[in-house]
Amino acid sequence: MSADSIHTLKSQFDRELAAAASEAELRAIRDRYLSRKGGLVSNLLKALGSASPEERPRLGKVVNELKADIETRLNQQLEAAAATRPPKGAVDVTLPGRVPVVGHRHPLALLRERIETIFARMGFLIIEGPELEDDYHNFEALNMPPEHPARDMQDTLYLAAPVRSMAGSPATLLRTHTSGMQIRYMETHQPPVRLIAPGRVYRRDNLDLTHTPMFTQVEGLVVGEDVTLADLKGTLDVFVKELFGHDRRVRFRPSFFPYTEPSAEVDISCAACEGRGCAMCKRTGWIEILGSGMVHPAVFEAVGYDPEKYTGFAFGMGIERVALLKWGVEDIRLFYENDLRFLEQFPL
Amino acid sequence: VKIVHQWLAGLADIPDDVEVVAREISLRGFEVAEVANGVIDFEITANRPDCLSHEGIAREAHVIWPRSGGAAGRVTGRVTGPSAPTVAIEAPDLCPRYCAQLFDVKVGPSPSWMVERLEAAGVRSINNIVDVTNYVMLEMGQPMHAFDLEKLGGGRLVIRRARAGETLKTLDGVERPLDPEMLVIADANRAVAVGGLMGGLESEISAGTTKMVLESAYFHPPSVRRTSKRLGLKTEASTRFERGGDINGPPAGLARAAELLEMIGAATAGAAVDVYPAPRGPVQLELRAGRIARVLGVSVPAADVPRILTPLGFHVEEARDGRWIVTVPTFRVDVLREIDLIEEVGRHFGFDNLPVTFPTLAAAQAAPDLSLERDRRTRTTLAAAGFSESMTFAFIERAAAEPFYEPNVPPAAIANPLSEKFAVLRPSLLPGLIDSASHNRRRGRKDVRLFESGSRFGAAGEGRAVGLVWSGAGNALHWSAPQRTVDFFDIKGAVELLCASHGIADVEYAPSDVAYLVRGRAGEARAGGARLAVLGQLQPTIAEARGFPSGEEVYVAECDLDALATRIPGGELRTASLPKFPSIVRDVSILVDEALPAAVVRGTIRSAAPETLHSIVEFDRYQGKGIPDGRVSLSLRLTFRSPERTLTDDEVEGAMGAIVETLRREHAAERR
Repeated sequence: MSADSIHTLKSQFDRELAAAASEAELRAIRDRYLSRKGGLVSNLLKALGSASPEERPRLGKVVNELKADIETRLNQQLEAAAATRPPKGAVDVTLPGRVPVVGHRHPLALLRERIETIFARMGFLIIEGPELEDDYHNFEALNMPPEHPARDMQDTLYLAAPVRSMAGSPATLLRTHTSGMQIRYMETHQPPVRLIAPGRVYRRDNLDLTHTPMFTQVEGLVVGEDVTLADLKGTLDVFVKELFGHDRRVRFRPSFFPYTEPSAEVDISCAACEGRGCAMCKRTGWIEILGSGMVHPAVFEAVGYDPEKYTGFAFGMGIERVALLKWGVEDIRLFYENDLRFLEQFPL
Repeated sequence: VKIVHQWLAGLADIPDDVEVVAREISLRGFEVAEVANGVIDFEITANRPDCLSHEGIAREAHVIWPRSGGAAGRVTGRVTGPSAPTVAIEAPDLCPRYCAQLFDVKVGPSPSWMVERLEAAGVRSINNIVDVTNYVMLEMGQPMHAFDLEKLGGGRLVIRRARAGETLKTLDGVERPLDPEMLVIADANRAVAVGGLMGGLESEISAGTTKMVLESAYFHPPSVRRTSKRLGLKTEASTRFERGGDINGPPAGLARAAELLEMIGAATAGAAVDVYPAPRGPVQLELRAGRIARVLGVSVPAADVPRILTPLGFHVEEARDGRWIVTVPTFRVDVLREIDLIEEVGRHFGFDNLPVTFPTLAAAQAAPDLSLERDRRTRTTLAAAGFSESMTFAFIERAAAEPFYEPNVPPAAIANPLSEKFAVLRPSLLPGLIDSASHNRRRGRKDVRLFESGSRFGAAGEGRAVGLVWSGAGNALHWSAPQRTVDFFDIKGAVELLCASHGIADVEYAPSDVAYLVRGRAGEARAGGARLAVLGQLQPTIAEARGFPSGEEVYVAECDLDALATRIPGGELRTASLPKFPSIVRDVSILVDEALPAAVVRGTIRSAAPETLHSIVEFDRYQGKGIPDGRVSLSLRLTFRSPERTLTDDEVEGAMGAIVETLRREHAAERR
């Protein structure tokens, strides 16, 4: 026993107290120093007996002062620690709350609503119609008489027996596009016409990475006395930029559809390579997303519009294809499997 | 169609860079599938059969890269004489024009330049005779066929309808049954070719052939198309004929073939015959500058019209008063009216050169159909209720549909389904949803809530509905409460919420006996006489058959959207002023028969209560210790209030007494 060893113990205590981070550690320090049995300070007091009688009073005073100091400082710290203890009835704010169970919207429905919103803002009416159609509204009125070679472009699923459709008349096929609804609208309304017809359509395509026998289409139609191909360009330019971003470029390429003349395919600049050419756009820098054109006069004649007086444009797109591009989906079949691991990636 | 750059260069002044040629022509409406080894593979749209040849593409090139010496003329020739082959057209409706020429031939290999061009264009070299017919087809678009004269019975050709029961073994070795709607080329005895599709095996050119008849004809497009479909046979020739050949192509093709055959030393031309009983006049159309501007939205310079149309083969007369008279070449079967000419002008003027404008909106748009708002509301409500939105196919397999058919309603089947998996139209949205839930279940996802809104196809035809499926837990996994499995009242809650979101009050629920639900756990919702929904536990046999583990309870509901009112909820709402006087609340517990429906108890209470009874809520239902078998303890909270005054305890007690007494009398209910 020496003054040195007492000093060493004090320094050790100072260090340990400073490092104590919790109430439990403070209690452990108290036990280690002050416990009656085996406490470091208690041991010092016991060891006083072996000190020389001359030194004993002085050493005893020093040890007792150390003991009082340790007790005081420990109690202060313990009190401070107790004050931070959560009050009775306190909650653990880190436990998860009761989140109401909310489902996810289907990406195709989200996209369709987005497209509807864009066109509604441009003054388009949204119409829906029957998915079962008759030959007249799906083909004939659209300048595709029986035996027309263009019917091969849309391999059709036919009904084994006619079924009553929403429109009332007997239906013989599953619509291959929503154009039939546009015919029905024009049959009952005079121009001006400005509408989009979204809905499910059916083609006899095998299921693979990029095809499904059922898909979602949005078609548009504008008819008036002075509607031009330049107006079609302007309208689709707004749409593409709203949907894909204002840095995308739009290109119109001549094409063929029986119900439009002239006809054009609409390409957007590839986002993956910014138009330089990559695997996604087959090295062309462009991705095809829409078919469009000026309504064929034969279609106006079929619905009783005067093709000399009125002109119009029409367009159509499959939104699965748009969704594949927009969200980088690798397999179109994911849209119809309804795997929650896929659906839950989309917003609530 | 595969266009060989070097071949095309002989017909048009094109640049040396094949990529440039491909890109420029593609911008005129000919999509490029591939460019490889100096060959451009163009996708030709159905309206342009004239471009299924090098000459056709060359005409497009002439507009882009004008020829210094003007368009090259075609070789045309026509020889008839006493030694010409005998050709009789008995079916002029199916074959309006038939040319044939005799040749003395020396069958052998073709020169290498011809073999190379054919192979680059994707056609295998056979012999010098067959190669020339293919060469002419690829160059001019006119398909041809060579017969061995000595194999033709009677040495003559009859163009007629096939006889019933007649057959022909075609070049590909297949014995094909023919019918009287098909056109055949026959000799004196039997068919030797199917018109416009394929020749017969027996009369084909062989190494020993010395005399041949070369056919160059025009066939009625719909007839070739029908025959091709019926025989399941598509050939290079039929692809061209069914989209529309050139009525003036046959003599030109024959002349070009003769020229080539002599040039390569394969044959010496003999006499020819051109049978064309009803010659067609040229089509003339008027093209107005004003109309071009009205369609395209820009005034195209007048000089551009002949600049574009002439190289394409149109004859354009001098404009008068902003109008041109345009003669359409016979190979342009797609140009029938003025708009088709405007397309030609627009196509080559360049869509990218058109201005970008926006159509004038003269009046506000009409409001959309209310069903749109109804469906949107349905989808957002159900997503908020925890169901994820699904999309499934409208056609399903018969076995999946069967349990959902209404009695005595024949299934709506697809005549030409892709497979048995897509054989019938769904009578309900449930089979698709059940399969989707089972798909998730089999991938380790136990707790599944899905909905789909869409069309279903039942007795009343096509209708709109929304389906729900719920399997696994009824509540979320959370530390504060144990999880329980889904039960009837979970799915019923979703249906109740959906009805409420559409503003439908007074929905009544009754047990249902639909076969696909478990008896005793099935109900239907009705309002105003219409059945709004069917809901309950799916039959375990169906769940298991669709891939759910046995013993797992699956709950489903299907709501008829057409029966939900198509009006905007709250549209006609008049609000009530807030109550000025306090309510009095009384709880009562009664013992009743366990089979007594809660709705009946509620009805009895209403009938016995004064008008001041405002609401009834069941807040406890207990069976077990202390409750006799077959009885149930039902606790209800009754709220009384008056709009005019503060109710007294005495009058509410009186009302409660009357209520309890009536319950006792009507249902032997005991107050607990």
